[in-house]
Amino acid sequence: MRKTYGILLFSLLLSCKPVLEPKPIDILNDDIALNDAEDVPTAEIGLYGALRGMAAPTVIAGDLTADMAVNNGTFTQYIELGTKQIRASNANVESLWGNVYNTVYSANIILERLPKISGVPARQKTRTLAVARFLRGYAYFIAAHTFGDVPFVTSTNLTANRNIAKSAKATVLDSVLADYQSALVNITDSSVDGYANKSVVRAALARFHLYQKNWTQAELFATQIIDSKKYRLESQFKGVVEKDFSDESIFEMGYSISDDPGTSSTGLNNIFVGRREAIPSNQLLAQLLSTEAGERRATLTFNSTQQKGDDNGLSVAKYGTADADNNNITLFRLAEMYLIRAEARVQQAKLTDAAEDVNVLRRRAKAPTVNATNQADMLLVIERERLYELAFEGHRWYDLVRTGRAKAVMSAFSPNWKDAYERWPVPQTEIQRNPALAGAQNPGY
Amino acid sequence: MNVFLRLCLAVFLLVCVASHSQAQQTVSGRVTQTEDGEPLPGVSVSLKNTTTGVITNAAGVYVLDGVPEKAVLVFSFIGKETQEIAIGTRTAINVQLSPTSTELTEVVVTGYTSQQRKDIIGSYAVVSDKQIRETPVVSLDQALQGRAAGVAITQSSGTPGGGVAVRIRGSTSIGASNAPLFIVDGVQVETGGLSQREFGGQQDNALSLINPNDIESMTIIKDAAAKAVYGARGSNGVVIITTKRGRSGKTVFTADAQRGIVDLTRRPAMLNATELLALQREATVNAKQDADQAGLIPGVTDAVNTDWVDEVLRRGIFQQYNVSASGGGERTKFYMAGSYFDEEGVQINNRISRWQGTLNLDHQASDKFSFGNNLIVAYTKNERIKGDNFLDGVYSGAMKSLPFYAPYDEQGKLLGPNNPGYAGFPNFNPVAQALLPRFEAYTVKILAGIYGEYQFLPGLRLRSKVSMDYNNVTEDQYESSRTAIGGFLPSVGGRGYGVNSTSIYSTFINSNILTYTKTIGKHAATALAGLEVLQRTERSSSVTGRLFPSDDFTYINSAGIVDQGGSFLNRSGLFSAFTDIKYSYNDRYLFSASARYDGSSRFGPGRRFGFFPSAGASWRISAEPFMQRFTFLDDLRLKASYGITGNERFGDFQFLSRWAAIPYNGTSGTAPASVGNPNLQWEATTETNAGMEATLWNGRLTFVAEVYRNITNKLLFPELVPLTTGFGSIQGNVGQVSNQGVELSLSTVTVDRAVKWTTSLNVSRNANRVEQLASKEPQFRGYTTSTGRTHLVQEGSPVGTYWGLDFRGVDPATGDAIYEDVNGDGQINSDDGTVIGNAQPDWFGGITNEVSWRGFTLNAVVQFSYGNQLVNFANTALLNSGESLADNQVRAALKRWQKEGDLTSVPRYVQGNTYNSLFSSRFVEDGSFARLKNLTLGYTLKPEWISRFKVSNARIYITGTNLLTLTRYSGSDPEVNSLDGSTTAQGLDFFTLPQTRKITVGITIGL
Repeated sequence: MRKTYGILLFSLLLSCKPVLEPKPIDILNDDIALNDAEDVPTAEIGLYGALRGMAAPTVIAGDLTADMAVNNGTFTQYIELGTKQIRASNANVESLWGNVYNTVYSANIILERLPKISGVPARQKTRTLAVARFLRGYAYFIAAHTFGDVPFVTSTNLTANRNIAKSAKATVLDSVLADYQSALVNITDSSVDGYANKSVVRAALARFHLYQKNWTQAELFATQIIDSKKYRLESQFKGVVEKDFSDESIFEMGYSISDDPGTSSTGLNNIFVGRREAIPSNQLLAQLLSTEAGERRATLTFNSTQQKGDDNGLSVAKYGTADADNNNITLFRLAEMYLIRAEARVQQAKLTDAAEDVNVLRRRAKAPTVNATNQADMLLVIERERLYELAFEGHRWYDLVRTGRAKAVMSAFSPNWKDAYERWPVPQTEIQRNPALAGAQNPGY
Repeated sequence: MNVFLRLCLAVFLLVCVASHSQAQQTVSGRVTQTEDGEPLPGVSVSLKNTTTGVITNAAGVYVLDGVPEKAVLVFSFIGKETQEIAIGTRTAINVQLSPTSTELTEVVVTGYTSQQRKDIIGSYAVVSDKQIRETPVVSLDQALQGRAAGVAITQSSGTPGGGVAVRIRGSTSIGASNAPLFIVDGVQVETGGLSQREFGGQQDNALSLINPNDIESMTIIKDAAAKAVYGARGSNGVVIITTKRGRSGKTVFTADAQRGIVDLTRRPAMLNATELLALQREATVNAKQDADQAGLIPGVTDAVNTDWVDEVLRRGIFQQYNVSASGGGERTKFYMAGSYFDEEGVQINNRISRWQGTLNLDHQASDKFSFGNNLIVAYTKNERIKGDNFLDGVYSGAMKSLPFYAPYDEQGKLLGPNNPGYAGFPNFNPVAQALLPRFEAYTVKILAGIYGEYQFLPGLRLRSKVSMDYNNVTEDQYESSRTAIGGFLPSVGGRGYGVNSTSIYSTFINSNILTYTKTIGKHAATALAGLEVLQRTERSSSVTGRLFPSDDFTYINSAGIVDQGGSFLNRSGLFSAFTDIKYSYNDRYLFSASARYDGSSRFGPGRRFGFFPSAGASWRISAEPFMQRFTFLDDLRLKASYGITGNERFGDFQFLSRWAAIPYNGTSGTAPASVGNPNLQWEATTETNAGMEATLWNGRLTFVAEVYRNITNKLLFPELVPLTTGFGSIQGNVGQVSNQGVELSLSTVTVDRAVKWTTSLNVSRNANRVEQLASKEPQFRGYTTSTGRTHLVQEGSPVGTYWGLDFRGVDPATGDAIYEDVNGDGQINSDDGTVIGNAQPDWFGGITNEVSWRGFTLNAVVQFSYGNQLVNFANTALLNSGESLADNQVRAALKRWQKEGDLTSVPRYVQGNTYNSLFSSRFVEDGSFARLKNLTLGYTLKPEWISRFKVSNARIYITGTNLLTLTRYSGSDPEVNSLDGSTTAQGLDFFTLPQTRKITVGITIGL
């Protein structure tokens, strides 16, 4: 009898393990998620997933902080942007900041762990590390130009990262350049849609140097891409609006039908098409209806049944319709490279070459071509051209700020504009949760 | 009655009369007592309804002559239960008399064991089958309302089968579950919502899947002495439910039928078309606009006047039927039952139906070995309706929709998107929203267990039981192209929207319990040791389709795009050892100690096991010699307990630094999803309880008073960290919540003559306070407002604290709202938020009165709550001072400020003005109420009328629920919770369907 009970007790204790340590389903722990060679490619894809989270809030920052759109819904976060009453508690601010640091974390964990994993082919290791550095660099590039000085996180250490002060914008941008340059050497030159390669890094470098006013470098990298003939302009501008991974797309964040952002508050299709929380401004409409803009008026659609009260019936067309899903967000495309080069050339007084770059886009848009006049006029031509071409791709506000035109343009657009809006605030919750940020809110917020 | 039935009855009566022969005989036997089998002298043995009788002699023997056949003998003796025995043709009848069961000797299920009430050290409340039997409710938690001290029960809405919040001694947790542990026949059952889709805040209720009529008793255990044996699951209290089981003897058949009508307690009072139009014109003019140009034209705009609330409501039918048989022989006992339950909601197209079968068996295989089972199989069909925080809800839509639109066109067809006359956003024809969608949930619940029990020695038993709670929910949903989602929402595509999902929640549990009971002289002890393994599995899958060819094709096979879906599996487990020892000396000093050692899969390797001890003591003062002169005192005890319980009911694998699959552009990668916390462990509640119990004048008065103080530490609560860490929060384990309270229960037999009147009263007070949190940052909960959200969790306030602007009235000069400028910066903005109330009552409880007289019984249950506040959040839309003209308004809008000098609390109406409708204390109201929860008038038919139909008892009754409510709350019903199941955001009324009033008639027949 006693023996029987001994067995019973023993079997109960044996059964303890599966009960108390059930296998997590579709969840991996840090220790096993990245510990052998096979884990590396999936972790690399995961990095792009993190970066993609940044893309929508970057578009919202670039276009909705500026004069491209007005609010048309009930979400406070869009009302604040539309009426230029931006507050540190704005959910878009927190969303962009959070996605930046989530991308940085994902990159850092790979940069920390991958070198220690044995058995990973060197080629794979080098490429994945390069991708991690490039994406980290891109995240910090956006962060520095959106927020100014930001905490510079270089590890995954929780204790360090929850109490971390701001670093100077210049320091952060130095690291961006270092990340980009290292990535350029080590990244492979694949050409799978939605993934980074050498051209993507070059495009990022072209934009980096444009923002830094290193005109020769900006021209150099833009030219390398244009000359590579790897990308060609869509024959019609409509292709840019309607297609996923168009012929001129250099780097695009892809969404397929299975990972559509749906009705999330930062899904661009939902914001621009479904809920229409933000609608194109009348100023933008006027610009896009000008003959100079040509076919780029296809950026907008109009529905008369929606036109009532403050609603002008306009919608953004670049992020698809309700039926035909087209949520992809373009980060770099060939047209921008022409515009970068044009601007860099104007700054170097190569006005005719610059006009030719602009005219490439004008001809595609079936709009009148431009003749090189003087430097100041050409800079305004390029400013307008960037608006026609890149509307709702997250450029406008960054362009106005870096060219020093924000005050002039935005004051005309909204009486509520103030200089403080040339930077976004640090999210309110970050100031509250990170002791090192106490009192370090950007001025004016 | 048709002719055939009459004939049958006639034949039946004839047979009865014919067989009634007048033969007489002598009957003899011996009467003993059950405790020790000793003979009982002096027992009165008499023929029922006569004066004929004898008394047993010293050997307990009686002999009675001239007894007619079919007679009934009555055996009675002071202190023993009277027994009536029909002799039939027998001539020798031996009888055992058992002690009279009083409140004090009543046996109560106290967890893994049972005890006599007088020996209980812990804090318990018992609700018996008798108390709840005739209450027309779908779920057993509803039946507990107002019945037990310290137990606050709120139905989230009047939707049948909807959510019910049960809180025992307050809310101990912020991030983990606050629901008590419900144990039915030894297995932890699912509580809360099982549906994959919440309907605007409202959920379904897993406890509505069990028929309350199969329940024998519910014991609510409240203090550490009682709960610590449930260890890491015990913090929120435990409700132990036992189902009915067979008893040896004659087979008892019971049939029960109940049927009635269901109506709303109170309908909201909305403006009609003419009133609303006048109001809207005024608001437009106040905004310096032309009302005619805005299309607000008298005689045109208000040509249609639809009372939407009336259109979507109906009077529902409630019905339930139960049949059961129970009985058994010396060795095998059974209880078998079948039931059908059906309740039509008051909203059109809302209905819940349940079919259930029950079979409980016990078999004594030998002197030492017995075994048995319990089995409930229930099938529930729930036809659901959207509500609350859904623009396309039915009741919510009806309250908001403008009366200027009609539900049907001239041909009587429902208006839908693209029809002229369809209001569109945000007013979607609520009648169509009720009638057109298909939201059906089909649930199969199997609650089953088998046990074996072996007695090694007298007093030493091992009981092993394997049980399961299995719930399979299939949800079948289609929203047609004429509904808001399926037809209006652009992102869906306007051609129908279908969802099909399946969820399986199953819990398996194996418990092995060794008990030993021994009495030596004045020492009595019971010891228990147990081992328990529990495993819970959750599986779910769902698929969504849209772009259907037409509304005649409604299943996903026909969808044009099937673009969302998923499946999921999760397991969790507990492995536990526990012990419980009770000792009493001389029936006067009682001690208990219990402990449980729990291992939970929810915690990291280093913190997986937890130890939960308790100790209690009780002193029966009334048994002391010096108390003997107080002869009126039956029993007086003091008791106290102290112990630690836990709460482990929150998400799984939170201790891991997790990586999750990240779909990216048609492929899938992996990325970090959270930072882990390897030190994560259960919440621990330190509980102290002290109480006094007194029984006086032979049970005429029973009084229980208890005080408690429960401190919960190591709150499982997301700790907010800066996003620079990569994530916004980590699973924290920091913080403290306290609950302190007083509970009083009193029951009296006020009159005990021909008329018997009993009263029981319970009153409780619980003070809840968040003592400490990891971060000082305000943590908002509930619905979004201009100052954050409706609720705030902060140190020093109770959970359920409301946050908003402090409304100081309406300026008689301007008609605008005046708000307190909290930070004194000269402007009113989101920085002026302050605490504006909370959902916690100061006192709550219930009073039950029962009066019986000659077979009539009148039973009334009153439930009350005092000092709690409610947020009438619906009024932010329905009394919106003109912010939006897209919503109908409540009648209080007629009291708005209109001209200088008007003294009112309703600001003026200005179209588009948001200032006057900012969320403020204007929308916080006193939620105190007293409610006649249940009133039953029953009549038990005289046995002589029915005995010849072989019916042993028959009772007819009429029951009304929620017949009367006293409250100052301006909304339709003070018992609401729009965010069903939420602890931190309770007390919200956001277009919540009010409670219903039921009037039912029933009949119970026993054979």
